[in-house]
Amino acid sequence: MSAATRQAMAWLHTWAGVILGGLLLAIFWMGTLSVFDREIDRWMMPETRLASPPSPVSLDAIWPDIEQATQGASQWRLRLPTEREPVLRIDRVDPEGQRQRVDLNPATGQRLADPGTLAGTGFIFPFHYSLHLRWMNLGYWLVGLAGMAMMALLVSGVIIHRKLFKEFFTFRPWKKSQRRVLDLHNLTGVLGLPFHFLIAFTGLVIFINIYFPQAPRLAFAEHDTPRQAFFADAYGQFQRDAGGELGHTGGIDRLLDDARERWQGGEPYYLRLGNPGDAEAFVEVRRSFADHITMNLDQLYYDAASGDLLARFQASPVMTVQRFLSGLHFIQFDHWSLRWLYFLGGLSGCAMIATGFLFWLEARRKRHARQGRSGVRVVEGLTVGGVSGLVIATLAFFIANRLLPAGAELGGADRAALEVWVFYLVWLLALGHGGWRGNGAWRGQCWLIAALAPMAALLNGLTTGDYLWRTLARGPAAVAGMDLMLLATGAVAVAIARRLPRAGAAAKANANG
Amino acid sequence: MSSSTAPSAWLVRTVLAVFGGYALSAALVTGLAGLLAALGMAPGEAVVLTAMLGFLLYLVILLMAFTVAGTGRLWLALGLLPLLAWGVILVSGP
Repeated sequence: MSAATRQAMAWLHTWAGVILGGLLLAIFWMGTLSVFDREIDRWMMPETRLASPPSPVSLDAIWPDIEQATQGASQWRLRLPTEREPVLRIDRVDPEGQRQRVDLNPATGQRLADPGTLAGTGFIFPFHYSLHLRWMNLGYWLVGLAGMAMMALLVSGVIIHRKLFKEFFTFRPWKKSQRRVLDLHNLTGVLGLPFHFLIAFTGLVIFINIYFPQAPRLAFAEHDTPRQAFFADAYGQFQRDAGGELGHTGGIDRLLDDARERWQGGEPYYLRLGNPGDAEAFVEVRRSFADHITMNLDQLYYDAASGDLLARFQASPVMTVQRFLSGLHFIQFDHWSLRWLYFLGGLSGCAMIATGFLFWLEARRKRHARQGRSGVRVVEGLTVGGVSGLVIATLAFFIANRLLPAGAELGGADRAALEVWVFYLVWLLALGHGGWRGNGAWRGQCWLIAALAPMAALLNGLTTGDYLWRTLARGPAAVAGMDLMLLATGAVAVAIARRLPRAGAAAKANANG
Repeated sequence: MSSSTAPSAWLVRTVLAVFGGYALSAALVTGLAGLLAALGMAPGEAVVLTAMLGFLLYLVILLMAFTVAGTGRLWLALGLLPLLAWGVILVSGP
């Protein structure tokens, strides 16, 4: 490895980090929270805090309620209740393209009140992979760029780190704070290296169809539309035209039992009715991901009236690899200790990115001040806004969820949209505060986190009656977990804020614990 | 550092690496998928395989683009080559 190569890698690492680090941190933070997106849903949608569903759930018993909930939809699908999501969740699309989520109590069929929030699965999780920037898939492309940058940052980081290790004594004259921040950056980077690299790589692998849309062009050249031919080949998707005649749907539970048998014990998680109400109606059933890593593609298609099996699609070997890698990223499998490890890995990634910024700021601060350059000021403002500001905005999102009255509306924005507005406005304010106060903003924002986090937990108790001492005793565990994490966040923020005034204490800047 | 370290030189290199590198990776993914399919692999499988490898390929291209000295070879490899490759693909496709 020549000196020129190592220098180039150092340049790449620094600049990719400074320019894309903020975006990477937002993606990593939202991704870390998304590990528990369904638990966040329970906290933000109190009506869905139901007891564990009876197993197995009988869909026939509540089919009239399902039909009522899906009336008028051009498409719909339902997800069977699970331990993490104890409601029967229906996602429907109207003919105008409006999407809607309807939850039913799986035991009684009763339709739950409109939650008035996007919550974890509707806001936090999609933010992670698309930044909610839908125009021309811009969000996906930015996330993709960030993912590639993450891999390049990790490799270049290892390359320069090895040199740093050899030249350890050269860096002794640096201030204590710089050394500590760099240590933490290297520690979280090296300890979490396999995790960080795999997360970035598998995240990209999930979206091969977005990032390499032209890939089937030659392999499927004999078709008029190679891409569609590829989808049909690789993903299945049984189709059958509607006949126009009315039909009825026979029992659904017997189809689910048949599916369980064919999957040798595998459970269904998803159900969709194609050509609803028609004589050519069919039922698509998909297999749960809960008991293995691979997000299997093992779809069964039944005739809705007679219950005969029409088709079964199973993924091919290489496709199964892609689904396995996707599963490593999505973590839809039931394994609580692994889930917590992913969460900690995500937090370590956030710490790695944040300390990278802090290191750059400390290293450049004197030079820029001497040269009269404003780079450090700008990056400083963005760093404060991007690190503690991001946490504050998230907490504001949770608090708005508890405080906004049901049916709240302002200027055409419904309650769910208002919560999102709160998130972005508070984030903007935090960025502004960081730009104005610079390094001095950290302490104030840390104290704000220390106040807001337990406040959110308290508001949960006040507005739903599910105080932490109650949920610890009788559940739901998801709500107790969320309140505990909020309190832990507050505690960590206090610990950091108290250390900040001292010279070396800007080291541990990851305020979320 | 070499003499071509002016910010504009690094900007050019970055643009070539990110966009030219992506164009080259995508062309290689499409081409390799077609090749594997022609050699007998199930076409759907070939596409998924090369697409997954495409990210690692792009990573290597990115890293190499920032270490190679001078910009001459860069313009050829990440400017001209992807253009030619995509020209070939678009002509031989449907």
